[in-house]
Amino acid sequence: MHHVNQLKVAKVVKYILVAVAISILSFLAQSAFAQGEIEIALFLLVAIFGIGITYLTKVSIPLKFFLPGLLFLAAFALGPVLYTLVMSGFQYQTGNYISKDAAIERITLLGVEPDEAGTTFDVVVGRDASGDFAVLASDPFVTNQYFIASESELEPVDPAGLELDSDGIAQGGSGFKPLANKELRRVDQELTQIRFKYKGDYFLQLEGSDIAAVKRQKLEYLSDSDQFRNLIDGTLYSDNGLGNYANLENPDDVIQPGWRSPIWFSHYIDLFTDSKVRAPLVKVFIWTVIFASLTVLTQFALGLLVALAMNRPIWGRRIYRSIFILPYAMPSIMSILIWGGMFDTEFGAINNLFNSDVAWFQNANFARAAVIIVNLWLGFPYFYLVSSGALQAIPSELSEAAAIDGASGRQTFWRITLPLLLQVLSPLLVASFAFNFNNFNLIYLLTGGGPRNDLDGEIAGATDILISYTYRIAFGTNIQNLGLASAISVIIFIIVASISLYGIKKSKVLDSFK
Amino acid sequence: MKKWLRENLWRHVVGMTMVFFSLFPLYLVVISSINPSGSLQITSFIPREFSTKNFKMLFSDPTIPYLIWMRNTLVIAGLVALISVVIGASAAFAFSRLRFKGKRLGLQTLLLVQMFPAILAISALYVIMERVYNFAPFMGLGTQTGLILVYLGGAMGVNIWLLKGFVDSIPLELDEAAKVDGASPMQTYWLIFIPLAAPVLAVVALLSFIGTFNEFILARLFLVDMESRTIAVGLQGFIGGQYSQNWGPFAAGSIIASIPIVIIFLSLQRYIISGLTAGSVKG
Repeated sequence: MHHVNQLKVAKVVKYILVAVAISILSFLAQSAFAQGEIEIALFLLVAIFGIGITYLTKVSIPLKFFLPGLLFLAAFALGPVLYTLVMSGFQYQTGNYISKDAAIERITLLGVEPDEAGTTFDVVVGRDASGDFAVLASDPFVTNQYFIASESELEPVDPAGLELDSDGIAQGGSGFKPLANKELRRVDQELTQIRFKYKGDYFLQLEGSDIAAVKRQKLEYLSDSDQFRNLIDGTLYSDNGLGNYANLENPDDVIQPGWRSPIWFSHYIDLFTDSKVRAPLVKVFIWTVIFASLTVLTQFALGLLVALAMNRPIWGRRIYRSIFILPYAMPSIMSILIWGGMFDTEFGAINNLFNSDVAWFQNANFARAAVIIVNLWLGFPYFYLVSSGALQAIPSELSEAAAIDGASGRQTFWRITLPLLLQVLSPLLVASFAFNFNNFNLIYLLTGGGPRNDLDGEIAGATDILISYTYRIAFGTNIQNLGLASAISVIIFIIVASISLYGIKKSKVLDSFK
Repeated sequence: MKKWLRENLWRHVVGMTMVFFSLFPLYLVVISSINPSGSLQITSFIPREFSTKNFKMLFSDPTIPYLIWMRNTLVIAGLVALISVVIGASAAFAFSRLRFKGKRLGLQTLLLVQMFPAILAISALYVIMERVYNFAPFMGLGTQTGLILVYLGGAMGVNIWLLKGFVDSIPLELDEAAKVDGASPMQTYWLIFIPLAAPVLAVVALLSFIGTFNEFILARLFLVDMESRTIAVGLQGFIGGQYSQNWGPFAAGSIIASIPIVIIFLSLQRYIISGLTAGSVKG
């Protein structure tokens, strides 16, 4: 009886959870759709149907267990990976960030020029007699003109019927009602887009809430030929295929802003052929490989040395062990920041301890050494722990037999112990290499990738590894080039995947899948 | 005696050297935190004065919302740990205990996915969350909710993989018996498996907590407001490359923040080390 009740409760809970999940996702899908985020809306729809079918029917029992994890993986792991791939095929950077339609709209809006005299009027924003937005413009000093301009009409008015302030600037009257401050703030955005009628081609555009300038359209969009025409000198600007409208006779003459435009494999081609892109990348790549190799080598060597030293029940071994584990137990973020302070040139503890005067982070080689030293501190305990385990697993008969055969301790180590250890630990060495290949936190928090020559506009620093370099390209201070950064990310994906697959093959994990 | 020297002296030399190397930075932080001058400059490696000024500053200075950072970190890392284990456990159960088509392919895909650090797709995550912000500002770029979602997705692969490893080591007999008694997979999962796996789930949750605590760059990209930052982003911004200033309070702050993590880590040593040898590396 009790059991049946439990089942009922479980069912009710299930229906409630499914209903809540579906309502939230539907709400999001609807908002996404309304904002034109079609891809996201479609993904959410798929998720909604997936949840409905999986939990309200009996299609697949395993799927009931998988679906939540699967949806998260799809949305925030696989999705971004695919999106990176797509972005790498686009001109996607500062100045080429919006869609083409948005760019055309912006160019049209910004493609105006003031009249030759740069005429401006003092204005009050309000509504005219028919209730449309209008400006009441005053020029009490030069022409003594007053007029009300709406989008469609320009109507001169007699100052006699107006309320003038002490400077002679009209504040209202003649059927014109100024906007209250509250409404002014509310429609502020809208007002900046309105073109109030003026003479001929010219119109009035608000510059702030009480000044309007006389302007005329300079760039006109020709939707038939997808070009912009300069109305004044007749120059034509066409889509240059790189996300900008450019003057065909002078390709450097481009209109800003551009848009994110598909350029397919150009970023990849640049990576290998354009020396401005390739040279720093090769430099960074070489250091990345050196850094990851040196890290694994030094961490493993030191960890193994400590493990060998502790491989006998010597006095105080437990205390030693708990101390050696501490660097590994500390949150690495904190440790890296602490080391950063210790390497400070003027006041840092390292220079203080050795009574030296080294500018650690200003000199390329010292900065590289510092990075390796800090990483050694962070990582040797790991290799100490795994080497200790592996050493204990090596049967003592082997070294005893070698000793009987007359091998010295040193020979036994190099010929027997080390090869056996390497065989056991090589997957871990490979995994560690792959991890350090992308050890962003260490580089970013310790040296920031530097030293680099900022004055030359150099992006790649002496200690930058691929991932920190990519980050700087994507989110740096000058130009943020998300497209190129994505292309480099894809290359790193491929490298890391190859290394990891090699490691997995060695560790034979795949064979254990049944 | 001579034999002892020959066999053991070098062990202690290595041991003492490494004790110095391991402890030096930690010792330095401790003496910096109790040094009333708050400066990076150490006049003596033996503390002459003792002061709690740096610690007090963390809890009173309005420019360092330390407690808020701590709370943010606990909430974010705690929620990520909890949700990812709830979701991950069911997937791990299915991988470990159920038979279905495409299991091998699924495991291989999972293995590949869990190797990719989320940071590689950071440009894409940024743009995607920017787009999410357009229609749902409460969970897009710049919000803790958005960051939690990104963490959950990014850690899901690793967590399922780790959980599967642990779950595989739980003996099959009990759920086999339940199956014989006519229990459905759902019943086996909730009534037999979850109670059995509870300790393992707790371990994975704590590991996930440490992982999130140590995450820096996504948090830094997402959490711009001073008040919404995590402890890692907050403290990094606080010293911001200017080590000479703010060093004392930073030292105090990093000690308080590190102690719980070190305790969790040391108490989970056994599991972490076996997890490590299974091929995953702590972040």
